[in-house]
Amino acid sequence: MKIAFTDIVGMDLAKQALMLLAVDPALGGVVIPSAVGSGKSTLARAFADILPEGTPFVELPLNVTEDRLIGGVDLEATLASGVRVVQHGVLSKADGGVLYVDSLSLLDSSAVSHIMDAMSRGEVLVEREGLSEVHPANFMLVGTYDPTDGEVRMGLLDRIGIIVPFTAQNDFRARKKIVDVVLGKRNLEDTRDELKMLAGFIDAAKEQLPLVSITKEQVQALIQTALSLGVEGNRVDIFTVRAALASAALQQRSDVDEEDMKLAIKLVLIPRATRMPEREEAAEEMGPEEAPPPEEEPQDGEEEQQPDNSTDADAEEEKEETPDMIEELMMEAIETELPDNIMNISLASKKKSTSGSRGEALNNRRGRFVRAQPGEMRSGKVALIPTLISAAPWQETRKKDKKMAGRPKTALIISKDDVKIKRFRDKSGTLFIFMVDASGSMALNRMRQAKGAVASLLQNAYVHRDQVALISFRGKQAQVLLPPSQSVDRAKRELDVLPTGGGTPLASALYLGWETAKQARTKGVSQIMFVLITDGRGNIGLQSSFDPNAEKPSKEDLEKEVEALSLSVQSDGIASVVIDTQMNYLSRGEAPKLAQKLGGRYLYLPNAKAEQIVDAALSF
Amino acid sequence: MTQTETAAKKTAARKTVAKKAAAAPAPKKAAAPAKKKSGLAFPFTAIVGQEEMKLSLILNIIDPRIGGVLVMGHRGTGKSTTVRALAEVLPFIERVQDDIYNRTPSQFVEGEDARKGAKAIDPATLKTEKIPVPVVDLPLGATEDRVCGTIDIEQALTSGVKAFEPGLLAQANRGFLYIDEVNLLDDHLVDVLLDVAASGKNVVEREGISIRHPARFVLVGSGNPEEGELRPQLLDRFGLHARIITILDVAKRVDIVKRRRDFDEDPDAFMKKYNREQVKLQKKIQTAKDLLPEVTMSDEVLTDIARLCMNLGIDGHRGELTITRTAHAHAAFMGQKVVTMKHVREIAGLCLRHRLRKDPLETLDAGEKIERELAKVLGEAEAV
Repeated sequence: MKIAFTDIVGMDLAKQALMLLAVDPALGGVVIPSAVGSGKSTLARAFADILPEGTPFVELPLNVTEDRLIGGVDLEATLASGVRVVQHGVLSKADGGVLYVDSLSLLDSSAVSHIMDAMSRGEVLVEREGLSEVHPANFMLVGTYDPTDGEVRMGLLDRIGIIVPFTAQNDFRARKKIVDVVLGKRNLEDTRDELKMLAGFIDAAKEQLPLVSITKEQVQALIQTALSLGVEGNRVDIFTVRAALASAALQQRSDVDEEDMKLAIKLVLIPRATRMPEREEAAEEMGPEEAPPPEEEPQDGEEEQQPDNSTDADAEEEKEETPDMIEELMMEAIETELPDNIMNISLASKKKSTSGSRGEALNNRRGRFVRAQPGEMRSGKVALIPTLISAAPWQETRKKDKKMAGRPKTALIISKDDVKIKRFRDKSGTLFIFMVDASGSMALNRMRQAKGAVASLLQNAYVHRDQVALISFRGKQAQVLLPPSQSVDRAKRELDVLPTGGGTPLASALYLGWETAKQARTKGVSQIMFVLITDGRGNIGLQSSFDPNAEKPSKEDLEKEVEALSLSVQSDGIASVVIDTQMNYLSRGEAPKLAQKLGGRYLYLPNAKAEQIVDAALSF
Repeated sequence: MTQTETAAKKTAARKTVAKKAAAAPAPKKAAAPAKKKSGLAFPFTAIVGQEEMKLSLILNIIDPRIGGVLVMGHRGTGKSTTVRALAEVLPFIERVQDDIYNRTPSQFVEGEDARKGAKAIDPATLKTEKIPVPVVDLPLGATEDRVCGTIDIEQALTSGVKAFEPGLLAQANRGFLYIDEVNLLDDHLVDVLLDVAASGKNVVEREGISIRHPARFVLVGSGNPEEGELRPQLLDRFGLHARIITILDVAKRVDIVKRRRDFDEDPDAFMKKYNREQVKLQKKIQTAKDLLPEVTMSDEVLTDIARLCMNLGIDGHRGELTITRTAHAHAAFMGQKVVTMKHVREIAGLCLRHRLRKDPLETLDAGEKIERELAKVLGEAEAV
């Protein structure tokens, strides 16, 4: 038998979250991040127990296809009947109920986009295969995931009201034991009675909900808390207020009290915090010379950009009215049963994942329609005209077939063998931008190996639609030796004669690489990889690359330049690998630092061979 | 009857998103009870703050040639709510009755005459109707055939006729095309949109059909930059770029929560409360639209605009053009017939923000940089 909601031991906060959602589905959903084996999926599935009977509960498989998700033409039925038959997608099947996703963080990014879209509309727009329909899709999203698998997209989390803070779990074996013991001793009737009671509880709370009121001061306090935690967006305010109201309704009260507010702060605001609020006394003790933590900086910037002086003054006044209350509430909410450091539980503070994986050249789903080929109807998009053409010659014989009697005379008879599906080609492969340090005495070797790597990559480039560019840097400034190209011949010709020696204009190389990457993006190349072959010791500033009279920059200035450029490279989603070719005794660790700034990988290959470089470039 | 006409009638009869959006906007009808929550859009005039975005949208209604708006910014700040609310304050346009391409009689005649073997039609004989400016929502899951139009699968299957079934681009002609999460749109759809937006025509040449129809629309995109960058060509397509940030003012935020709760509780009553303001805004926009042809700009102002773009190092002439058009629309919206630098100042940031060259070493915010150059240009103008 399935484990019932009431039989689950522990995970009280998650349970409370689900109950709030049951009371007010407008909270959008509940996300439960938790370690493997903590029973989170058991709990999520048990959520159905406390919902009214007959509420849809749809589990979304991770590998769901777009047409299964949002719906489309049911081709088999359409072909069979000659009339367009619509197949509803999973999202609209969940209408009025629950959409449950296990391992939410592993969900394909296009599926996430569709779910986000449906949640913000409350419906699914089907605009495909000649269909133009609107299907209602008002559902609660319940998602569970293991944070070690990766994070859920912030855009999606923004549409989900409640995020259960990640808390350390007890040993799962101990938990399981508890459940086993409890189940063994219980009889089913007890469970049934308890469930009935709980369901009645929630029903009563639902009736109570419209009667609950919240004061303006309380709303202000909640918003003030959101502000001091640096939570992005205004939608979250509405969720916080709703959560507090639902909490009061569950207690059959008609006013929101402090406990309700605390719960709302805990379940809605804290998991989205981007900074740790300071207690007022603590801040004063620290004195003005103490720099604020780095997380606060972007937030401060935003405040400065908000030039609304008159209303800001109002806000100040309000702040003064209730500061103690807010402080207390927030601190209590944070302190009870949660880890010491808020940043350990906050999802918003974690590193944003840069999306993107290597695209395939030919596929069945997206890109440009290249050709039609025989295939299973389910394995891709049907190419209609080729299908009809292949069906046409058989019409006379098929119509004479007795099995086809009773069909409309005008209908085409199409068999499975006629079906052709579309093959698409994705436009872009990867652009590898090699940046080779041609300064110093080791340059010749580096250059030779880089050339070998470039040539080797290009040999296979046609298959993957990859491209290669080469930038060398020496003397005053970097130089694009080979603009993005797929031509092996051209690459060889351009790379033949190369001077070496002189200074190391690292910043200039990064700048040129970044420019080249941007231009490639405009041509539709989405995947870009920097391959830096250098010891990482830049000594020529970007300014002096352009202006011979520029002052010689200090070491700090140089580092700052490289850092700013690296950040741009990284935030543009450009992957990178730094191949350190320096002999060990000379290394002062600049190359690893550079790799870190770029958010890329670091490889130490003192005698890098062309093949090793190719492997490094391809292994991301 | 031609194939296209058959298809057009059929599609017109079918309930589509655009139809739904188009049916709701008249403020009188807006009070009618809606079955679904989504049936009623939150009123435009009830949206708190986000003035940049609201102004950008309004100016594009006044002059659709401005080239659309890109709205980028924080999550949960009402981007899509605002765009979807737009439908309610849009003025009406005249089109040939049931024409799927929303053409005026003269456009209709031009289009039909161009086709082989079509008989000449007298524009005066065509029945027309007034419809609100269409707002077409392009969802991320849309397939290329639904966007551009494709052959009618039903007709092809039942009778083997290759009839054209128009897509969303046809519905959006003379209206708005809205893409939420525009930065997540599939690359090949972006390509299609760029082609059509540049030419104002949709050309479908495939699977044995050859159709071209007008597709001029105001492109409105919204998204969160954290989810991914926009391709530079697409970025450049948008006339204006409005930036949205979380409102940090507590009183305003309390107001947002309050209004949203009131709306959710009783949408009809809420709509009624804002009905007057909605109608007022609609009228103001229509008045501005009528005034626009009379608005003039002096050569001095034009020179200052050119100097501003030059000083900021903006490539091409799209910057100047956009500022000029937008400033005209802004003056018209203010009920004034002469464009001054005051109007330019209000909209320069919107026009130029996304056209500044991206410099990784630049620490100055784009808005500040524009503001600073503006002050310089204005100062020079005064000094002379």
